[in-house]
Amino acid sequence: MKYILLMTGTKAGVDTYRAWTKKDIDTHMASLRSLAKDLRESGEFVADQGLTGPEEAKVVRGEKKGMPITDGIFPESKEFLLGYWIVDVATPERAYAIAAQLSTSPGPGGVPTNMPIEVRQFASHPLK
Amino acid sequence: MKYILMMNATKANWDAYAKWSKQDLQRNVAFMRAFSKELKDSGVFVATEGLGWPNEAKIVRAGKDGEPITDGVFAESKEFLAGYWIIDVESTEQAYKIAARASAAPGLGGTPGSMPIEVRQVLSSFADLGL
Repeated sequence: MKYILLMTGTKAGVDTYRAWTKKDIDTHMASLRSLAKDLRESGEFVADQGLTGPEEAKVVRGEKKGMPITDGIFPESKEFLLGYWIVDVATPERAYAIAAQLSTSPGPGGVPTNMPIEVRQFASHPLK
Repeated sequence: MKYILMMNATKANWDAYAKWSKQDLQRNVAFMRAFSKELKDSGVFVATEGLGWPNEAKIVRAGKDGEPITDGVFAESKEFLAGYWIIDVESTEQAYKIAARASAAPGLGGTPGSMPIEVRQVLSSFADLGL
């Protein structure tokens, strides 16, 4: 079963992360890299991806002739996707356990961030 | 440059979609298939996925002992990711044009749905995240 683990944050949350010391950021990233390595070794890793910051985000709609209309205004409460991991696991509980590991990745001073991770299963969706 | 095109929707949006007629759903699905094929044929396709229903979504945090604490309660205004495409294009403008095509996917009665598509550049690695 494939699950996607979504890391999201508001603009304010992202600004807080960016104010971390270099050491804290390095420790955090090392923890995420270590987890990705573990998932590769266990054969559960499918993909991961980080996104650029929310300030570059646009919402696009097509106008009548199909030309794009772009808008970059979002409510302050808007949760932006920051990055995701896709894992292929035997049970939903295993997906939740991996999400909990992500949630324990160290923040400032090495204290676990306790960040919330949204866990969603993939659909047998017709997009493909 | 790689971009992710995201379809986001509230639970109310998902519920409305579930009530579409079979004909409307088939038209929408046919568009999505043709759209992905078009992306593949033009060489910009990287990946696409559709996600399961929001009622199965969980938020997970680690408890003190590292055990997962799951929660399935969300604000009504919460936008759930419904699906995405990742494309590799020459310019931001090209990404917006492709997003506009997705936005025009047929909705009720076959009229363009004009759904909002969130467009974000993706990083080559987490090291570029700049956090």
